[in-house]
Amino acid sequence: MARIGVFICHCGENISATVDCEKVAKVASEFPGVTVSVDYKYMCSDPGQNMVKEAILEHNLTGVVVSACSPRMHEPTFRNACAEAGLNPFLCEMANIREHCSWVHEKSDATTDKAIDIVRTLVEKVKRNEALAPIYVPITKTAVVIGGGVAGIQASLDIADAGHKVVLVEREPSIGGHMSQLSETFPTLDCSQCILTPRMVDVARHPNITLYTYAEIESVDGSIGNFNVKIRLKSKSLDEKLCTGCGACIQKCPVKKIPSEFEQGLGKRTAIYVPFPQAVPNKPVIDRVNCTYYIKGKCKVCEIVCPTKAIRFDQEDSFVEVQAGALLLATGFDVLKTNFFPEYGYGKYEDVIDGLAFERLASASGPTKGEIRRPSDGEIPKKIVFIACAGSRDPAKGIEYCSKICCMYTAKHAMLYKHKVHEGTPYIFYMDIRATGKMYEEFVRRAIEEDEVKYIRGRVSQVYEKNGKLIVRGVDTLLMGQPVEIEADMVVLATAGIASPGSEELAQKLHVSYDKHKFFSEAHPKLKPVETNTAGIYLAGACQSTKDIPETVAAASGAAAKIAGLFSNDLLKRDPLIAVVKKCAPPLYSSCTGCFMCIPVCPYQAIDKEEIKDRSGNIIKTISHINPGLCQGCGTCVAFCKSKSIDILGYNHDQVCAEVEALLNEW
Amino acid sequence: MNNLQQKAQQLLESGNYGLIVGYEKGTSGKARPVFIRKAEHASKLIFDESCDQNIAVYLYRQEIKHDKKKVIVANHHTLKSIVELAAENQVFDGDFMVLAFAGNGDIIELNTFEEIEKHVATLYHGLTEAEAAMMKKIEDMSLEDRWAFWENEFSKCIKCYACRASCPMCYCPTCTVEINQPQWISVPSHTLGNLEWHVMRAMHLAGRCVTCGQCGKACPLELPIQLLTYKVALDSKQFFDSVAGTSICADNALAIFKPEDHENFIR
Repeated sequence: MARIGVFICHCGENISATVDCEKVAKVASEFPGVTVSVDYKYMCSDPGQNMVKEAILEHNLTGVVVSACSPRMHEPTFRNACAEAGLNPFLCEMANIREHCSWVHEKSDATTDKAIDIVRTLVEKVKRNEALAPIYVPITKTAVVIGGGVAGIQASLDIADAGHKVVLVEREPSIGGHMSQLSETFPTLDCSQCILTPRMVDVARHPNITLYTYAEIESVDGSIGNFNVKIRLKSKSLDEKLCTGCGACIQKCPVKKIPSEFEQGLGKRTAIYVPFPQAVPNKPVIDRVNCTYYIKGKCKVCEIVCPTKAIRFDQEDSFVEVQAGALLLATGFDVLKTNFFPEYGYGKYEDVIDGLAFERLASASGPTKGEIRRPSDGEIPKKIVFIACAGSRDPAKGIEYCSKICCMYTAKHAMLYKHKVHEGTPYIFYMDIRATGKMYEEFVRRAIEEDEVKYIRGRVSQVYEKNGKLIVRGVDTLLMGQPVEIEADMVVLATAGIASPGSEELAQKLHVSYDKHKFFSEAHPKLKPVETNTAGIYLAGACQSTKDIPETVAAASGAAAKIAGLFSNDLLKRDPLIAVVKKCAPPLYSSCTGCFMCIPVCPYQAIDKEEIKDRSGNIIKTISHINPGLCQGCGTCVAFCKSKSIDILGYNHDQVCAEVEALLNEW
Repeated sequence: MNNLQQKAQQLLESGNYGLIVGYEKGTSGKARPVFIRKAEHASKLIFDESCDQNIAVYLYRQEIKHDKKKVIVANHHTLKSIVELAAENQVFDGDFMVLAFAGNGDIIELNTFEEIEKHVATLYHGLTEAEAAMMKKIEDMSLEDRWAFWENEFSKCIKCYACRASCPMCYCPTCTVEINQPQWISVPSHTLGNLEWHVMRAMHLAGRCVTCGQCGKACPLELPIQLLTYKVALDSKQFFDSVAGTSICADNALAIFKPEDHENFIR
C-alpha cells in the first residue's frame, strides 16, 4: 500500500504569488495513496528538508513528491534528504510547479488547478517508482584537449600540473593558434608571442602532455570517464624522430610562393614548411597540395638535402586510439574574410584587409618586419580607416551578435599604427565602443586622447577605389548624420568572429550541441559556462563565443579545474536511470525481436548484442543488450523500439503511462 | 511440367533442400501460398500474374523455422521484403535460396543476400499508376474531407489484425497492441481506437514499408489502409532519400543520422 508524502513549496513568493499552495496541499492530501500533504515557505531550507525527513520517519512513507522548482535545481537536495531519512533517493520525485506553472501563468484558479494536475501526475508516478542503486564506473584519468591555441595550451598545462595525463590534439602543424599571429595585446601592449611561446615550450616539455600536431579527431565513442578517441595523424611526410628541425629542406624547397596561412596570405611559404619560427614542434610538414613531387612525381629536393634522411614521401595517415575520461573542446574561432562584404569590394581590393592581416603587418616577425606597409605596393599608408562591426551586430548579414573583441583590437591597431607612423592618421568608424574589461576603457581613452585616433560614430556604406586611393563613404551620426568621405590608403575591417571551420562536424562527432552560428553551446549560460550538455565534455575559449585572451585563459583554467575535479575520484557515481532490455520467462525470453535497429540509434554506442543460450550452449535467441556503464538514459532507443522491449529505469512505460492517465482522467 | 516445377522437383530430389515455399492455384482465379516438402508435389507450383501475394511473411515463421534448407519462389514484393528483413536481422544469409524470375520468364537462383540485393536493384521501386492515382486523390482532399474519409474507413475496421498478419515487417512476437501493462492501444474496435492502431502501424513501418500493399489486399473490409504506409514510405524517400527493401545494411531513415544529411528541415 502506497504511503506518499507531498510537500508543496511556496518558494518565497515565486510559486505562491500565482498558485494557491495551501489549496494544492489540501487537494493533494485527498489523492489516493497520499498519507501526508503539507505546504511550506521554503522547502529547500533546513527546516523544510527536516519536514520531509520527519514525515518519512513518522509516516513510514514509501514515496515523496516535492512540489517546487525544476528537478535541475533541487532534485539532488531532496533525494539526499530522503536518503538521510532512510528512504531510497529514487523514491523521491520533483513536481515542477515553478518553471512549468507559477512563472509562466497569471494568478488564477486555472494556475492552481494546473499545479494540482502536475502534483497528481507525479504522485501517480512515484507510486510506481522502484528503489534503485547508483552505478559506479571507473574513470580513465586522461584528458583529450582538442585545439592547441591559448585555451588548449593553458588547459593542458593546468590539467597536467594537477598530475593527470593530457593528450593535446592540434590540426595545424604547430600549436599556438590565433594568439601566435597577434602582434601586441591589449590593454598592456605586450608582445603576444613573447607571452605565449614560453607556454608552448612548456607544453612540449611537460612529461604529462602528449602532443599530436597536424592531427584531427576521427571519432569519439564512450562517455564520461571512459571515452575512446580515435585520432587521425595526418601524414607530415616526415619521420619526426629523425628530423632535427635544421631547416635545410625549407631553404632548398623550390616551391616558394605559396600564400602563408600564418601570415594571412601577406607572406609566402614553401611547400615543406613550419608555419612560423617559434613553432612547436619546430619540424616541417609537406603541403601535398602544392608540393611538386606530389603534383608531378619528381623533385625530392628536400629528401636529397636532408642530412638525417627524415623525409618520407610514401608516409600515410596513421591513427592512434586514446582512452580518456574527459574531453575539452578548445577549437577557437576564425574571422570572416573580406570577400564577405560586397560593399567593401568583395575582397578584390588588396588594401582592404581584415584585422588578423593587420596583426601580421604590425608584428615584428611579420612579412614587413613590423612596418605598416600596404599589401598592394608596399607604400606606408598616410591614412588608414578602420571599420568596426564589419559583419558583427548586423542581422541583415545573419550575424546578430557582438564579436566582443573588435572594439579593443581596433583601438589597439590604430594605436600601433600611430606609434609606427607618427604622421599617419587613423580613423575608426564604430557603432558603440564596448570596452568593459579591466583597464579597457582607459586603453580606449588613451587611443583617443594621447594617440589622437579619430573616432567617427557611424557606419560605412561603401568603399571603392579611385586614383589609387580607397574612398570610404560613411556617415557621422554624431554630426546629425552628415555624410563623410575619406580618401584612405588602406582599410582594415574588424570582421566578425565566427566559428572555426569544421566546428559543426566536430560537434556532431562528439554529440555536443551548438548554436545557429555553429559555436558550441554551454550547459548553462551562467552556472555551467565551461560544460557542455554532454557529460565529460568541456569547453574553453572562443569555440563557445568569441573571447579575448584573458577571458579565454580564465575559461581554460576553469575547464581544467572541472576536469581535475572529475579526475580526483577513482570511481564516477552515476544515476541508475538507464535503459534496460526487458526479459521474461521462456519460451519468449524477451519481447526483443533482435532487429537491432536500436544500435545505430544510440548516440552513446551503448547497445550491443546478447545471446540467450540453452544449457548445452546453443543459441536460442539473440537480443539487444545495453551497457550500463555507457547508457546515459536518453531514451532514444525506448522511443524507437517497436515492440516496446526497452524501459528506462525510473521512467518506465508504466510510470509514463500512469502520468499521462493522471493528467487526462478527472477524479 | 514447366521449368519451375522441374526445378523444384530437382531441388527436392537432390536432398539439399527440404522445403519449397511458393504459390499454387487457389479458388476464384487467385493463387495461394503452398509449402512443398515432397518432390512429387512439385507440380502444384505455379508462377504467373495471379501470384501477387508477398510470401516473405512465412520465412521466419516458427512452423518452418527448423526445416532443412528452404527455397522460396519470390515475386518482386517478396524479394524486397527479404532484403528489408535481412537488414533487420530477421532472416539469415544462407538459410534459404530464392528462385526469382527474369523478364523473359527464366528462373534466377539467388543464394546470398548480396545476390538478392543486386537483383532487387534492377527492379522497379515505387507505386503503380493506379496506386499513385489513389494517393493523389487522398492528398488532394482538404483536411476536413480527408479526416472524414479516414474516419469513415476506420469506423468499419473490426481489428482482426489481418493487415498485421499479412505484413512481412510485422514480426514482433509481442505487438504493441498486445501489451496491456500499460494498455497503449485500446482493445475494442471503435473509430478512435482503430485510428490509433492504424496510425501506430504506419509509424512503425516508417522507412520499412516496401509498398507491396499486402495489408490492403488482406483486409476483409477492403479498407485502403496500404495508403497509410505508402505515405510514410514516400515521405522517407522524399525527405531522407531512403527506400525500404533496397539495402541489406541497417540504415533505417529514422534510426541513423549522417553529418552529410541534407535535410535542413530537421535542424
